[in-house]
Amino acid sequence: MNDMRPTPSLIGWRALVVHQPHPNVDALLTQFERIGVAASHYWPEITDLPDLDRFNVVLIDADMGYDDQFPWKPGEAPIPVIALIGSEAPGRVSWAMRQGADAQMLKPIGSAGLYSALVAAAHGFAHRQALTAEIASLRSRLENRELLAEATAILMVRDNISAKAAFQKLRLTAMAERVTLEVMAARLVETINDMRTAL
Amino acid sequence: MGNSIPIGLLFSRSGPYWAPGQQGFYGALAAIEAVNASGEYPFELVAHDADPEGNTGRYAGLCRDMIRRTGLRHVVGCTTSWSRKEVIPVVEKADALLWYPCVYEGFEASENVVYIAASPNQHLLPLLDYVVPRFGRNAFLTGSNYIWGWEMNRIAREVLHHSGGSVLGERYVPIGDVEIHHIVAEIKAKKPDFILNNLIGPSSYAFLKTYHELGLADPSFASAVRPVLSCNLYEGEGSLLGEAIAGHFTVSCYFQSLRTPANQAFLNAVAGQPGTEQVTSFFAQSYTSVFMIANAIRQAGTDAITEVLAQAKAHPFSAPFGKSIVDARTNHVLMPAHIGRARADGGFDVVFEAGGAIEPDPFLTRSRLGIPGGEALPSAKAPHLRVVQ
Repeated sequence: MNDMRPTPSLIGWRALVVHQPHPNVDALLTQFERIGVAASHYWPEITDLPDLDRFNVVLIDADMGYDDQFPWKPGEAPIPVIALIGSEAPGRVSWAMRQGADAQMLKPIGSAGLYSALVAAAHGFAHRQALTAEIASLRSRLENRELLAEATAILMVRDNISAKAAFQKLRLTAMAERVTLEVMAARLVETINDMRTAL
Repeated sequence: MGNSIPIGLLFSRSGPYWAPGQQGFYGALAAIEAVNASGEYPFELVAHDADPEGNTGRYAGLCRDMIRRTGLRHVVGCTTSWSRKEVIPVVEKADALLWYPCVYEGFEASENVVYIAASPNQHLLPLLDYVVPRFGRNAFLTGSNYIWGWEMNRIAREVLHHSGGSVLGERYVPIGDVEIHHIVAEIKAKKPDFILNNLIGPSSYAFLKTYHELGLADPSFASAVRPVLSCNLYEGEGSLLGEAIAGHFTVSCYFQSLRTPANQAFLNAVAGQPGTEQVTSFFAQSYTSVFMIANAIRQAGTDAITEVLAQAKAHPFSAPFGKSIVDARTNHVLMPAHIGRARADGGFDVVFEAGGAIEPDPFLTRSRLGIPGGEALPSAKAPHLRVVQ
């Protein structure tokens, strides 16, 4: 069990239910009350809702929902999203997925299902956030690949050393200066370019 | 409302966990007799019982049959969580109520179940609150390989994590497995401050006996130094274990040795009934369930579940474990958490007697998981031992 992901803590959570008024909403709010999570109900648009950042999760209506309801672009909700699906028409399910639904619940809403949806959404959202950050970091490293090659080449020519030694030198200098490899490479390339311009 | 009201009793009185099942069955039966003999109710309760023999697959069918056959609306029963999960769809569909009288791991709240059942903020958290400041924050977790052990150890891990403690090891064995020397060997090597034992039945007994042998050989593993904590160890089991269990801790809403007037009255009332040689919380909770049903039917004037549930949520009741009420939000009852230390004769000394009942928090969204550091907490300030009445 040691490899289990930590359980998301729902202590102090607030939920936003964006769904047309319906007995399903009442059932959902009852489940929220049992679980001990505060929930607020809004319909239809939450674009002018103040203090959106006080909410930890949003539940959206896959049947009647539309893009302009939300103050974010489809798929870019800053909090976990749970889709409440009634009609399993492919168009509606696709719409919910486009919103970035991390979990879903099928209507009619009964006396269970919300807790696991909250846990799944919290895990899904955290995973999505981590992937987005990792992709950004990888992309930035990819973009800096040319820069590193150029800086390494400069050192090879300037100091008459091997590629391996040049890269090692770049790395040690970056460590000594307490900057990233990319920043160090950029400085080196910039200095050489300045010298070229000066000549 | 007719003069006789059918009540279903669905306990496994045979099979692998017959002992707690039998306690639950006899507790309900004793209460039905007491209700009928009292002359205080304008109806007679009639018991209809079925024994699923510990076979999870039989619960739903037997429950459905008894509802169809007799039209009953109220079932007292189930011991394990697996069996309860089987019965819930049946009572939800048939518009009946299950009164579940056993300690369990929480994370559930069905509208068709009344939980006369402590969930972790009413057992594990108060037990850790008591033990951690006295013995330390580094634990070894063990359990039988199913949901009770997994969930209890997961919660303990979170509590310790939030308390600056650590989990030195976590081991599971299949239900019924008694080959547990490797666990004791690991405990010997890792020297935890305490061991949380979520093993059940024969595995738990084998573990306690082997650990006791270690304590005899090396006094630094005696129960007074590195105790074993259990949340599901009861009077009858203690007498099987003798010296091996002495000094270890357990937690329960009810101990036979509670010196309260409510418990004395209860023990006097049931004296001589079957199952009362040693009375466990399974018996007491089941007994309570039947009285809750009878009182709520009397107040509602019907056995229809909506009305009965509304009455059960509106009126406090007296139980062998004290005054309580059904929490309107969660359908769980408020319960005290007493800490018991086992004696060599199989009984328990109540070393911490809760001053009042704890509100249920089955999803642990209202409980603080961390235990403050420093000296042993004065009992009045122990966070989960809140007095609510």
